[in-house]
Amino acid sequence: MSDQNIHIDRLSKVFRRDDKETVVIRDFTLDIKQGELVSIVGPSGCGKTTILRLIAGLEQATSGEVRIGDKVCSGPGPDRGMVFQDFALFPWRNVRKNVEFGMEVSGLPKEERAARAKKYIEIVGLEKFAESRIYELSGGMKQRVGIARALVTNPDVILMDEPFGALDAQTRNIMQAGLIRILDKTDQTIVFVTHSVDEAIFISDRIVILSKRPAVIKEIVEIPWPRPRDRSDPEFTALRKRILKELESENVMD
Amino acid sequence: MEEGILSRANARLDAWGAMMPYDKDNRYHRWVRTLAITVASLIIFLLVWWNLALLVGSAAIPLPMQVWDAMIDLFTYGDPVSGMSMWANISISLQRFVAGFLLAMAVAIPMGLLMGYSKTLNEFMTPTLEILRPIAPIAWAPVLLFATGYTWGPVLVVFIGIFFPLLSNTVFGVNKIDRSLVDAARTLGASNLQIFYKVMFPCALPYIMNGVRIGSGIGWMCIVASELYASYGGGIGFFVGIQASIGYWPNVFVGIAIIAVLGILTTGLFDYIHKVITRRMGME
Repeated sequence: MSDQNIHIDRLSKVFRRDDKETVVIRDFTLDIKQGELVSIVGPSGCGKTTILRLIAGLEQATSGEVRIGDKVCSGPGPDRGMVFQDFALFPWRNVRKNVEFGMEVSGLPKEERAARAKKYIEIVGLEKFAESRIYELSGGMKQRVGIARALVTNPDVILMDEPFGALDAQTRNIMQAGLIRILDKTDQTIVFVTHSVDEAIFISDRIVILSKRPAVIKEIVEIPWPRPRDRSDPEFTALRKRILKELESENVMD
Repeated sequence: MEEGILSRANARLDAWGAMMPYDKDNRYHRWVRTLAITVASLIIFLLVWWNLALLVGSAAIPLPMQVWDAMIDLFTYGDPVSGMSMWANISISLQRFVAGFLLAMAVAIPMGLLMGYSKTLNEFMTPTLEILRPIAPIAWAPVLLFATGYTWGPVLVVFIGIFFPLLSNTVFGVNKIDRSLVDAARTLGASNLQIFYKVMFPCALPYIMNGVRIGSGIGWMCIVASELYASYGGGIGFFVGIQASIGYWPNVFVGIAIIAVLGILTTGLFDYIHKVITRRMGME
C-alpha cells in the first residue's frame, strides 16, 4: 500500500469508421493523489464520459495507459469502481444484494459480505431500506445504493459519471453534501465527471477543464478551501463565473 | 319500436340497479360482477351450440347433454374402443407435452442466450432458422411419426412448436439487456461467465418466460394435432381420432372439451409464472 496514486499517461482515443477517423481524446495526462477528488468538466460532448470509461477499462484506449501505483490497468477490474448516471442497479436484487454483488463475484464468505454491506448501507444512510427492492426507492436513494455498491469493495479509485445528473436540483444538493460526508469517513479517491461547474467547485480538490473535441486539458484549477463550502461565498461565485466563461468560449462554433 | 324495447330494457336494468347498486370500489361487488358475466357468457355459448346443433342436424354435432352423458360414461368405464381409461389418455398427452416442452427449453434457451451474446453466431444461425420458422410444426408430424415412432414423434412436434417462439423471445430478451448493467458488473469484477448467469440471464428471464407462455399454447395445439396422425399409442388427440373414425361423435366432443380444459390450465399456469417473475424482476 505504498503508492496508490493514479497515473493517467497520455491517454488517447480515436474512433475509426471505414476511413473516417475521429479523435475524441488526445494525450490526456493526469496524476491523482490518493484520497483526492478530481472533477472533470468540459463542453457538452467533449468526451468526459469516454475518459472515465477508458480509465474504467470499459473501453480500449488507442494509446496511453492507466496505472495505479506501478500496476498497469488493462480491462475493467474491481480496483476501479464506477457509479453511473442511470444508477445501473440490478432491479431483481434488493438493496443489500446490490451492494453485495462485487463481494459475491470475488467469492467473499457470506457473513463477511453481509457485515461489510451493512456498514456501507449505513454510511449512505439506507439502513432502513436494506431489504427494499430497487423500484421502491427514489432517485436519490437509488444513487446512494450505487455509491455504496462502489465503496464496499474498497477500490483504489471510484469513477463517477455524472452521478447526480438524473436527480432534481434539491436532491442534487443533498447528495453532494452527503458525498462530502462520506469522503470524510473513507479517504476514497474519486474521479468525478459533471457538467455542473457549481457541483465541481462544491466538492472537488481539483477541477480539470477540458477543451471541445478532441478533448485536451485546458486548465487544472486547484480548490484549496476546506469543505463543506459556501456557494454564496464571493470567491466561490467568482471562480464559478470564471470557469463558466472559459467553457463558454469552448462552445463557440467555428 | 326498437326504441321502445331498449327503453323498457333500460328501465328494467335501472330498477335492478336500484335494488342493489353496484359499487366498483368493493372487492365482492367486482367479484360477483365478473362471476355473473362469466356464467352468462357460458350459458349463451351452450345455447348457441344447442341451437346450431339442431339447425345443422348432423350426427357429427351432438347436443350438449349428449356430450355430458358421454363424458360421464367415458370417465366411469373408459374408452370402449381402445379399452384405455380417459386418465391414461390425458396422462400420455401431458407426458409428451412436458417432454417436448423440457426439450425445447433445454435447447432454445441456451441457444437464444448464446445467439444474443454472439453476433457472429446469430448471423450464422439466422438464415437456417428463417427457412424453418414459417413451416407449421404439424407439417412435420407425418415425417416424425414415421421416422421416430409414436412416442417421440408427437414429442418432437411439440418441441418444434415451442422452440421458435422461445428462441426468438430469448434472443430478444438478451438484446434488451441494459448495457450499463453489464458495465456495472464488469467494473465490480465479474467474469464473463458470472456476467452471463448473474446479469444476462436474470435480465432476459421475463422475456424467456414470455416465450414459454406463448410456446406452451402452440405446443398444446401441436400435441393434439400430431396425435391425430397416430394409429396407436394413446393420447387425447389419438382418442379424438379413433372416435371420429368410427362415428362416436359425442365422445369426440368429450375429447375436444378435455383439450380445451387442459389448454386453459397450462396457459393459466404459465401466465401466472410469467407474472410472478416479471414482478420479482422489478419490471412492472
